[in-house]
Amino acid sequence: MMSLPFLLFACALGAAWTSRREAAMGFWLAGVVVFLVLFRIHANEVLNIGL
Amino acid sequence: MTANLSKLLNALGLVAIDTVLVVAFADQLWFRDLPCPVCILQRAGFIAAAFGIALNLIYGPRPSHYGIAILGALAGAIISAWQILVYVVPGSGSYGNTILGLHLYSWAVLMFAVIVAGSAVMLLFDRQFTPTEPLPARLRLLPMMAIALLLLLALANIVSTLAICGFGVGCPERPGGYLIINDSLSVTLLGEPS
Repeated sequence: MMSLPFLLFACALGAAWTSRREAAMGFWLAGVVVFLVLFRIHANEVLNIGL
Repeated sequence: MTANLSKLLNALGLVAIDTVLVVAFADQLWFRDLPCPVCILQRAGFIAAAFGIALNLIYGPRPSHYGIAILGALAGAIISAWQILVYVVPGSGSYGNTILGLHLYSWAVLMFAVIVAGSAVMLLFDRQFTPTEPLPARLRLLPMMAIALLLLLALANIVSTLAICGFGVGCPERPGGYLIINDSLSVTLLGEPS
């Protein structure tokens, strides 16, 4: 699952290189969404700052 | 700035991002400094930002491509900044090796800032967005090599991340080694980093 953003970005690059711009943008957007979801899952430490 | 000059500058920028990812891999493989889950996501952030620059090289410079590079860099910068804040208080520890006195996540936030600033500066030059002749053949090699290397690094990161985290959603906060599939098809941890 952690490798999914890389897979989606690789697909985006491949699609862009083969002149499928819309598909490339779709893969990139999906990659960013997965990337942020994975960050939310792993960012579970309490920050050492007083706000 | 002409479109061709812009493409050359974008190619150099992409080579710089490729270099960052290669250095991260060198640190992982040579110095056995395994990346933590958020470190892996920062690498993905560099690829997300580099995608916008690659689009400039493939389709020609467009403001939307710089927007993609900025958004990718901002997403990566949020993660780097979060990791800096986790360790910002003296005595709260750190993660991984240092290069020239800074941890990789500190370098990452600086590099993401450079990508955002560089893209913003490039957006100031309107003439690059005017359609022009394609790059001369002798100047096409650098952009193609930079994109091919980026694709290779994305694929290498898939393999590396699977070897560290496996197929599950979770990943050890401090990975102890690489996972391998043994003869009985069960996953075991291979070795301990020094």
